[in-house]
Amino acid sequence: MQPSMREDYLEAIQLFSEKNARFPQYEELAKILDKPLQEIRPDMGELFVSGDVVISPEGMITLTGKGKQTGTCVMKKHETLQCFLSEILGMDSSSASDEACTLEHTVSDETIDRLGKLIVTRDHHGHHGKQRHRKPAGDRPCRTQSDEFCQSPSISDFSEGEEVVIQCIHGRACAQRLLDLGLVPGERATIRRKLSNGALVVQVKGCDVAVSPEIASAIGVERLP
Amino acid sequence: MKIALLGNPGVGKSLIFNQLTGLGVEVNRYPGSSVALECGNVCYKQEKTEIVDLPGVYSLDGNSEEETLVRTFLTSGGADVIVAVLDATKLERNLYLFVQAAEFSPRMIAVVNMIDAAERQGMHIDADILSSRLGVPVILAAASEGRNIDRILPVALGQATLAEVHVPYDHHIEAALKSLEKTIGTPVHTNLLALQGTGDDPVLLDAAGAIAQEIGMRHRMSVGQIIATNRHNFAREITAAVVKRTAQKRPYDLDSLLTRSFPGIPILCAILFFLLLSVFMIGSWMEVIIVEVFNSTIITPFTALALPPLWDRIGFSVLIALQAGLGIAFPFIFTFYIGLSLLEDTGYMTRAAFLADRAMHRIGLHGEAIIPMVIGFGCTVPAVMSLRLLKTRREQTIGAFLVTMIPCSARTVVIAGIVAAFVGIIWAFSIYLIVFILLILTAVVLSRITPGEQFGMIVEMSTLRMPQAGLVLAKSWLRIKEFLFIAMPVLIATSILLGLFQYFGLTELFEQMVAPVTVTLLGLPGYASTALLFGVFRKELAFETLAVLAGTADLGSVMSSVQLYTFAIVSVLFVPCVSTIAVLYRQLGAKIAIVTSVYTVFLGLFIGAIINILMK
Repeated sequence: MQPSMREDYLEAIQLFSEKNARFPQYEELAKILDKPLQEIRPDMGELFVSGDVVISPEGMITLTGKGKQTGTCVMKKHETLQCFLSEILGMDSSSASDEACTLEHTVSDETIDRLGKLIVTRDHHGHHGKQRHRKPAGDRPCRTQSDEFCQSPSISDFSEGEEVVIQCIHGRACAQRLLDLGLVPGERATIRRKLSNGALVVQVKGCDVAVSPEIASAIGVERLP
Repeated sequence: MKIALLGNPGVGKSLIFNQLTGLGVEVNRYPGSSVALECGNVCYKQEKTEIVDLPGVYSLDGNSEEETLVRTFLTSGGADVIVAVLDATKLERNLYLFVQAAEFSPRMIAVVNMIDAAERQGMHIDADILSSRLGVPVILAAASEGRNIDRILPVALGQATLAEVHVPYDHHIEAALKSLEKTIGTPVHTNLLALQGTGDDPVLLDAAGAIAQEIGMRHRMSVGQIIATNRHNFAREITAAVVKRTAQKRPYDLDSLLTRSFPGIPILCAILFFLLLSVFMIGSWMEVIIVEVFNSTIITPFTALALPPLWDRIGFSVLIALQAGLGIAFPFIFTFYIGLSLLEDTGYMTRAAFLADRAMHRIGLHGEAIIPMVIGFGCTVPAVMSLRLLKTRREQTIGAFLVTMIPCSARTVVIAGIVAAFVGIIWAFSIYLIVFILLILTAVVLSRITPGEQFGMIVEMSTLRMPQAGLVLAKSWLRIKEFLFIAMPVLIATSILLGLFQYFGLTELFEQMVAPVTVTLLGLPGYASTALLFGVFRKELAFETLAVLAGTADLGSVMSSVQLYTFAIVSVLFVPCVSTIAVLYRQLGAKIAIVTSVYTVFLGLFIGAIINILMK
């Protein structure tokens, strides 16, 4: 399989799962990609072998951590490119999307990074209207992560006993003490205790740290894959 | 030679410090700072060595008073050798501070403390590899058993060297550091701080600020986060190389009881209640003894001297002040401090803060505010000093009002001596109830009207451990010394002033002047105003003076129950004592000191008047 085709598949599955909060069946995937079913089945087999997807007995195609990472990454590149083409170069949105579909497979992280920055800067200076496209959420290989734009769920959304990976810390005031205690992006944390008001005891680097609810809501995390 | 102990809070620095120095400890205050520095001297090979115990910090980058103090200490070369104390069970997190300190290039050694606890958890630390990775001598020690503590001085004095750790910073940061060093000529640690916006050189801050913004844009992450992540990753790498873990059965986790709402909160209430009750019982028993011994050995012989009246009055005032100070300090406050140090040293205090977070949020504070509150039950003076724990002006303001209103042990004596003894035990508890209701109302109103932002709590839960009797006593002793140092001079001065006041017959004048308030508004006998005035000097004296002025210890025979009740509640709420006003002024400024005093006077008179009208 061509690398670009693999990326298209993973992107499509990721997009579907984000929209519908579940993973697609063969039929649904075939419909989205406009491909015959008999072509999809062997391709999924190949993706299973490469460790990108897992297929349940009911025919549900689930992304693995690796597959999800690639899928999200490509999706973000797509979004950034489409945003650049339509909002800055002024192309109409459907041809911008088609063009982005081709470019997303070859463009480098560096380019995406700089494009993303360009778009943000222009928005900041008011050259342009509101940012319409969803900003990339944090997966490190894409390097488009930021704390201002981090959209990871906050640690308050998780419950006692769950393990998470810290993605970002919002806000400036409380950030320093959290950083010093080891709550830095990329660090694993376990929620040791959660009280009904949302106060948490989080274990990082073998130490227990107690935080108030409003501090907890400033810690962006992802579930441990 | 001068040696300084540096480490995170709770790594056992103070225990090591105590074992190295013995009891000859003095507390110094750094100029311009309210953080205490403990210093002690030891003789090693006929040479005097001074040891300084720096306040526990997690980092050198922050702007808290402790961090600023330690940073200034390091940059000014405050010590010849830095002894970095690391907690073996939390080595990775502790090395984060070590690598920061190493950037200031002092001569260092590393003491890996609590190695016994680490061994129990199945961790094995290779001192040789650690020593070669850090470039300084490493001592594996267990202060609680006294293991290897005797090696610290010889190694620190003989083998301390510059640490060889170089955190591999992100290449943009490295480039920024190089260019700052080249253009402005400042050392690496100054540049790292400047990139994070700390420093006092405007040219450097300007240049660093611009670079930091550029790097932040590029990474979409603040420079502070990048630097912290780099350091943590470096610390993790070292830890991975030196720590070997063998699986060990996890011991029973007490936190499953202590940090849950149930049974955690009932346990918290029980512990606090037991603490206050035992302080009260032990305190009143000891106070009687101290006062009697003082009376028979010093005051009676003094009055027998029959000095000229003026000198007799002044001498008597000084002695009364000493008696009063000792009579409250040792029985009540010292006992309370022992209990408090026990709570702190077992690590329970951080659990209490976590559980109290919710309730404290209701009154505009957060969990950590429970510490000044608890201390306030012992004595208001140290409670005001501990308000430093609260980071913002808003929190300190709210905290100052609450802490001055909490019934301290002296006020407990008034309540017990007047209300419980002559009116009834239930009525004594009703005073507490009234005070707490007023306290919560005050706090709720204050949290609405006090300007400023509210921050939450970020507290490391200390490891639960058995407290060390010696350390608990030493800590309580230092605290009581600090209390006496602040309170005694004020007590003696005020006592002399009041003595002279009486000598020149101004008391009657005063009583007549305030008679409308005391007699009409509060329905008390005229002499009660003098007793209240004495209460300003020390709360407990309100009760004692009342007995003296009434001419009998059986207050029930000269005043009605309502009068006694009113008197007690007014003196409990009425102005904090002079020592409190002095420390409020020192800690938080004149404005807060005046506003809290005026507020409590009016609150006391207002509530007293209501009770007088309702119950007459």
